[in-house]
Amino acid sequence: MSDRGRIWRMSQRIRDRQLFGIRLKIMLPILILFLPGMAWGFSDPEILLPGGHQPSTPMEVLFYASLGVVFGATMCAVLLSFDGISRDRSSGMLEIRLAQPMPRKHQATALILGHWQAIALPVYALMLVCLVIVRYRMSEWPSVVETLVYLLSTGLILLWYTLFALLASTSAKEQGTAVAFGIGVWFFFTFLWALVTTMVAYASGVAIGESNDPTWVALEGALDLLSPNGVYHHLLETQLPTVDRGISSWQAWFGAAIWTIVPWWMLHRRMEGLVP
Amino acid sequence: MAEPLLTFANAEHRHMISVPTLPRPWKKVKGPGIVGLNLDIYSGCVLGLVGPNGAGKTTLMRMMAGILPLQAGTVTARFSSSEAKHVDDLRQWVGHMPEQVRWQGAQTVREALEAIGDMRNTPSKRIEGLLDLVGLSLRKDEQLDNLSQGMRQRLSIAAALLGSPKVLLLDEPFNGLDPVAAEAFTQLVKRLASKGVAVVISSHMVAQLDQLIDRIALLHRGQLLDEGNLEEVERRLNLSNRYRIQGKGAIDIASLLSDIEHEHLDFEGDENEWSFVFRGQAEAVLHSLMASATVTSWSPVAPNLVELLCAATGMEVEDISLEVGSSAMLPMRVPEVEEDE
Repeated sequence: MSDRGRIWRMSQRIRDRQLFGIRLKIMLPILILFLPGMAWGFSDPEILLPGGHQPSTPMEVLFYASLGVVFGATMCAVLLSFDGISRDRSSGMLEIRLAQPMPRKHQATALILGHWQAIALPVYALMLVCLVIVRYRMSEWPSVVETLVYLLSTGLILLWYTLFALLASTSAKEQGTAVAFGIGVWFFFTFLWALVTTMVAYASGVAIGESNDPTWVALEGALDLLSPNGVYHHLLETQLPTVDRGISSWQAWFGAAIWTIVPWWMLHRRMEGLVP
Repeated sequence: MAEPLLTFANAEHRHMISVPTLPRPWKKVKGPGIVGLNLDIYSGCVLGLVGPNGAGKTTLMRMMAGILPLQAGTVTARFSSSEAKHVDDLRQWVGHMPEQVRWQGAQTVREALEAIGDMRNTPSKRIEGLLDLVGLSLRKDEQLDNLSQGMRQRLSIAAALLGSPKVLLLDEPFNGLDPVAAEAFTQLVKRLASKGVAVVISSHMVAQLDQLIDRIALLHRGQLLDEGNLEEVERRLNLSNRYRIQGKGAIDIASLLSDIEHEHLDFEGDENEWSFVFRGQAEAVLHSLMASATVTSWSPVAPNLVELLCAATGMEVEDISLEVGSSAMLPMRVPEVEEDE
């Protein structure tokens, strides 16, 4: 078997273990509620959002429904991956794995791919349901490009949170530390990032929360590049011509590349020096 | 003796310990580990790695398994040719059975082995053969959660044998095994050694290894104190030729042993029933005893770990036990602690 074949086989085993494990069964109702549920709600022809806005295109509905990904799917990614390494460390399996002649970088890649697939596959299945719901409610499909960007960017944000959780798992000697770190990072970017943005805006003398103030919009757009959730929204906004927060498409994709490469590289580095 | 299969020369690995300080919270220093290790491992030979808790047995096993890198020293091996060659990565040649692996989950025994086997490109036929070898073929479809401790140990040794290793490392393999399983395990190890596999077994129980090992390596505070076959080591440490004799009847133990220049080590009991331990020639003492008393039994006395350690370090047992229990486990021959960030 080639190196790629071995990585793929190992990732398949991790994926299957997680996909058919009890944890995903517990999380599935949350995902169903957050993903198709939000798509159903935001595609309601009668819906009126705060500020009097009404989503008028399928992509706009998908953009708003992406809140379900940010709040629900990313949390599930963390909860599936937080003990990806620490559990094997405490059971002694990590020692057996590290003693095998498969390079540690390859093992790290298989861990990433396996855990990512375990959350991405159900999320993608539910996103296809979202597309059907939007088509049913609005009598219109999103374009191919919009769909691809929606799927790709969602895959990326799930990958980022998977990487954060696995990174935490390499350091944690016990499960509690790993889950605290993973959930902490998720909580920070999902709930506390707005506070960070507000504080920076206040320190910079920018009027806070004024959606018509271009300075506030530009500052919020720039700061969002420093958050995985913000980058995710920037990627989706590349398909919303009416939204302009001062960040061009290439900047959003460049930010996505950085959020992918840096934690991936860090995890490989951590694996190289990992002690059972 | 044949050329060694694997040779460690001046090998070192010391664990990094966090010592956070206010200006440098990331500060680490080198702590306990293995220092200046010179060790030969021979094909078909069972080496017992013996030492108290914290001696560095598991660290050394992990170094041999390629899990912990060598920070100093070299490894040479004769795995693929008769010529000793420098080896960077031992993992391809070494099978490692860590101490107390908790195999758990809904996976079956066969699936768990296949998952490890995939990492070594092991064919499924080999996996079936290994399940037969360790006596798990009837339980191969059992979930890991349902296995007993003994079965888990068998599964661990099957996992260690997946790559047809030239060197098999067994870290405290008797932990949790009942006497029957321990005997089966001993037979299995002997069978593997007879096929040319070099076996290294770590344990803090010398008595368990007595019937199994060909050589012994005595480890303490990260250093190899002595190594060789058991008789050699016992002789070097002045622990050989010790016998216990039990019997009845009046004897004068002092004159009996001094007459024939034997060393009296221990005496218990009275003239009705006595037992004593001495060092010397058993035949001569027995001959003298038979004339005046009744000998009910006699047997050689095998040294235990404490005796070996006391003899090798020149320390008293209290000092050794206190020392092992303390956190001051810096290597004996390298007093300075090097800093590294």
